Amino acid sequence: MGERRFPRGQAAIAGIGCTEFSRDSGVTTFALAIRAVKAAIRDAGLQLRDIDGFATYGTNDSIKPNVLAQSLGIQNMSWYLDQFYGGSVSLSVLGQAALAVSAGVADCIVCYRALNGRSEIRMNGSNMSVQRPPWDMQFKVRSGYIMPALEIAMAARAHMLRFGTRSEDLGRIAVLSRRHAVDNERAMMRQPITLDDYLASPWIAEPFRKLDCCLETDGAVAVVVTSAERAKNLAHRAVLVQGAAWGGGINLVNNGYADYADSPAKPIAERVYRAAGVGPGDIDFAELYDCFTYNVLSQIEGYGFCEAGGVPAMLSDGVFDRATGSLPLNTHGGLLSEGYIHGMNHVYEAVQQIRGEADHRQVKKHDVALVTGQLGYISGYSCAVILAGA
Amino acid sequence: MVERRLMPVPDRDSAPYWVALAKGALELQHCRECGHWTWPPRPVCSGCQGERLEWQPVRGTGEVYSWVVAHRAYTPELAAIVPYTIALVRIDEQADIYIPGRLTSDVEVYRGLRVRVAPERLTDEIGELNWTAIPKGRP
Repeated sequence: MGERRFPRGQAAIAGIGCTEFSRDSGVTTFALAIRAVKAAIRDAGLQLRDIDGFATYGTNDSIKPNVLAQSLGIQNMSWYLDQFYGGSVSLSVLGQAALAVSAGVADCIVCYRALNGRSEIRMNGSNMSVQRPPWDMQFKVRSGYIMPALEIAMAARAHMLRFGTRSEDLGRIAVLSRRHAVDNERAMMRQPITLDDYLASPWIAEPFRKLDCCLETDGAVAVVVTSAERAKNLAHRAVLVQGAAWGGGINLVNNGYADYADSPAKPIAERVYRAAGVGPGDIDFAELYDCFTYNVLSQIEGYGFCEAGGVPAMLSDGVFDRATGSLPLNTHGGLLSEGYIHGMNHVYEAVQQIRGEADHRQVKKHDVALVTGQLGYISGYSCAVILAGA
Repeated sequence: MVERRLMPVPDRDSAPYWVALAKGALELQHCRECGHWTWPPRPVCSGCQGERLEWQPVRGTGEVYSWVVAHRAYTPELAAIVPYTIALVRIDEQADIYIPGRLTSDVEVYRGLRVRVAPERLTDEIGELNWTAIPKGRP
């Protein structure tokens, strides 16, 4: 067996589309998906008849690729993916679409995520189906250990115990995200917050406060993936999928995992950098999956931007500030403040930035972006992509 | 009447685990080949990946490794118990087994707090795993 390799830069994102992000869309996930998908195809300068594949993910809470394709008049869908789970697979979907077009089994694939995450099936667990729960749920449900906030907070506590990480450090991540959302027209939360606001916000899953938690959102995002060659002749600067990695994280089964304070993002980080042929120092900006503040902290460590325990000093130094920092982070406000489209909105923002179309949010260096999915807790899956302007 | 909190849904691998808890004991799978303990229950040893596992009781004691306090009830049934503490407990037999469960003692929690399993029978087939603090000076 030879060295594993990803078809570096052979596929590209050619179009992006989204709906409004809101607390109540008033429409079905079907309608949301249709709007975002059409917008992404239009943005790419393509027609519906050019599309021959769809990829999505979710927890049985959204419209399926087969229904979507047929409804859009695409009767000969040649490739699809409908992956169970949430943000821990958001970019495995994109990575697999890139593989499919690189292998030539599909020409143009639309990756989408549509959800009514606030008005219908809420992500806090209150609408969790007990009919066919994931395998490990039987060992959590009776203890009330279902909310994702509880499981991530458990790891955050372990980090606090080992490195002396404080509430204020997590608070600075919440404040940073909000600052980046204030001037983002798509963002649901545009009121600035201070560290005092953070410290005054109520406990949800102690040590997490309300402002450690992302939003619950209705909305959809779609992106069109095609070959790099084709993308270079389309409407916008092609955004190449330089590398992608998906695979293992940590869940209840993971015997042998010694310390929850260690970032579970490390294995994916090594693989995505190797796939793309770059390292942490080559990343111009990053959109890190932020269902909770602590995920961001742990990923900054796991993706090699500092040694474990080094994030608080970087936050104080403004390293992640969009306008002036050396590593602008979650430039749209992230899941914490823009909205929770399960990580696909991170891709949307990264593409806008790489194209140089982010207007007043535009970062100075915008050629290479790291975009990540959930870092591997709970589901035991994680994923990441590195995108680069052609 | 059993309170309407969500019940675990056992499977064919885990059924003996839940029955043992209903009878008041914490039993885990022990490997006849390598002596390793496995949790959560599954058809394969977490140490050697063999399949010769047998159910055996463990001491039921361990130490709190991490903990969270839930201040929101995500289902109406949990409203009666918020705020509640969930402890991630490293059992004494094996350092890589962390079992989450409600800590029902009203004590100050810290890493290393000694705890003991305190199962509660829900049905003949299912017991709830709770943890209680062991008073200082007791084994």
